[in-house]
Amino acid sequence: MLSPERLSLPGPEYLAQRHVLTYMEDAVSQLLENREDISQYGIARFFTEYFNSVRQGTHILFREFSFVQATPHNRASFLRTFWRCFRTVGKNGDLLTAQEYHCLLQLLCPDFPMELTQKAARIVLMDDAMDCLMSFSDFLFAFQIQFYYSEFLESVAAIYQDLLAGKNPNTVIVPTSSSGQHRQRQPPSDCSPLDGVEASLFYQCLESLCDRSKYSCPPSALVKEMLSSAQRLTFYGFLMALAKDQGINRALGALPDKGDLFVDPAMDHELEKLVAQVSGLSVSGPTSSSGDAANLPVRNSPRMNCPWKPLHHRRKMDAESEGSNEETDSSEN
Amino acid sequence: PAAGPVPAVTPKMAAYEKRRAGTAPSGGQAVGSEAEFLLRSGVTAMVREALLKVLEARPEEPVSFLADYFERLVLGGPAATGDAAAEPTGPPQRLARALWYVSLAHHSHRTAFDSNTGAAYEVLGGGGRRRAAGVDGRLYSELLRSICQHGEAPAEAAAALLRRVRCRDHEAVPFDVFRYGVLTCFVLLEFAAKADALFAVLDGGSGAADARVCQAVLRALEEALGFGHVTQPRRYLEAGSRLGPDGLALAMDRALQERKLSGSMSREEFLKKATALFVAKVKPVE
Repeated sequence: MLSPERLSLPGPEYLAQRHVLTYMEDAVSQLLENREDISQYGIARFFTEYFNSVRQGTHILFREFSFVQATPHNRASFLRTFWRCFRTVGKNGDLLTAQEYHCLLQLLCPDFPMELTQKAARIVLMDDAMDCLMSFSDFLFAFQIQFYYSEFLESVAAIYQDLLAGKNPNTVIVPTSSSGQHRQRQPPSDCSPLDGVEASLFYQCLESLCDRSKYSCPPSALVKEMLSSAQRLTFYGFLMALAKDQGINRALGALPDKGDLFVDPAMDHELEKLVAQVSGLSVSGPTSSSGDAANLPVRNSPRMNCPWKPLHHRRKMDAESEGSNEETDSSEN
Repeated sequence: PAAGPVPAVTPKMAAYEKRRAGTAPSGGQAVGSEAEFLLRSGVTAMVREALLKVLEARPEEPVSFLADYFERLVLGGPAATGDAAAEPTGPPQRLARALWYVSLAHHSHRTAFDSNTGAAYEVLGGGGRRRAAGVDGRLYSELLRSICQHGEAPAEAAAALLRRVRCRDHEAVPFDVFRYGVLTCFVLLEFAAKADALFAVLDGGSGAADARVCQAVLRALEEALGFGHVTQPRRYLEAGSRLGPDGLALAMDRALQERKLSGSMSREEFLKKATALFVAKVKPVE
């Protein structure tokens, strides 16, 4: 009700802005795939269930990646589902590698690209030592930023490279596809002690990026506040700050605050239902071994074979994981 | 016993694979028969109708809107298959249905809004099987009350508005009065939302704003509302839109320069005062 501009938009723009057609088209193609069952089930009933599941955010379960990332709502739903399904990993205090988190992601979305998981891991590990172990919450919040703001981060990377190279940021042409030409890092020639770029200039560029972008961006007021305390910052420093900012997490609205990540009694019940659903589904379709089944993670770590360990097993780890990312960085090397 | 998530190959995924693999060769013919199927089974018409409703209503949450819309169809719309006796009969169901109708389209989409209001009027009045009972004052007030409650209007303003546009309980309510009452309620909701947004700017997120500034804004609002003695509620909104940022800024500036001590004003108080200004301008129903 507080955004009345939707009332004055031309029809097609309104539909596009709210992704109405994305869902309607998907509903129709789902309907066509199941058309044998539809005639007795009722078309209106089918649409009702479809849109209800979109509303609840369960519609992205086991869907192809192109659909999962198609709208901000789908992305938020996926993040929520990922958290709900695997929060016990965090509760148990288990630390996993990027590869292992990727396997978890693929359980929900079989063709989930490894590249995204790696990028998220890079945020946690500050672009260093990629085979390190990460705590669930560190990975989750980094992954959230990387997944939800994918396009924004692409553009930020390009801006950052340009600033490093000393180019005028106003002439930055924001790439949507490849940022190859922006990759040359300035060599640390004059041994400047300054690392990264100047914060206020960086913020100006981000602000104008957000004004122009048709993709989701973090609220600029929050970004501004975040950057106001820094003089200079590096790219991964910025991403890490984004991932840790609870205001941005709240604005995004998919996940609870970090402190509440593992406390939700209602979710235990929900989880049991999901588990039942997952095992039910896998029983129903064991014969169709085509396609993506081959790509599914077969190489499960022993730890992942029973992620629902009772809480008290790893009480010690739980207490430690309160202290931010120390446990992640101080891994076994 | 929870045996951990096992990679599941659902029928859906298999079908998706099949479709992805099969797009190249037999594409043209498959598309043709699919379109034919959609047309024949009524999907095309249903989707078109639903999108039309979305465009009329421009809901903030189109997905929720569509879920509710299709659910209504299942529960007994004209397009429902099978159950013929699903037409709502009891007063609570009729009220809910009428509320749904009038909320479908925003009132600025006047044609759609009017036809939906007409449908609501008919549903509400179509009580008995034999005779149409018509809408009486009690049903009418009840509908207006639910509109205000549903839109979370400030309770006092809603009550004051209802006093102005109500009819006697056993009086038959003609359609133009019905439409006027419904429309006025929706305009009140919008007015309250705008006042709320205005306050959010004034208090800067702190929950309380400077009383002088609030008074100045309220005064400016009152002046804009007093603009001419027009009878249509929507004129008030137009007048409101004349409250340009310049004029408001000037008034607020002046208020701040009076170097008097002043307290603060809460959101509730501001909303109460602002909506009272609006309600005072609503022409009472005779």
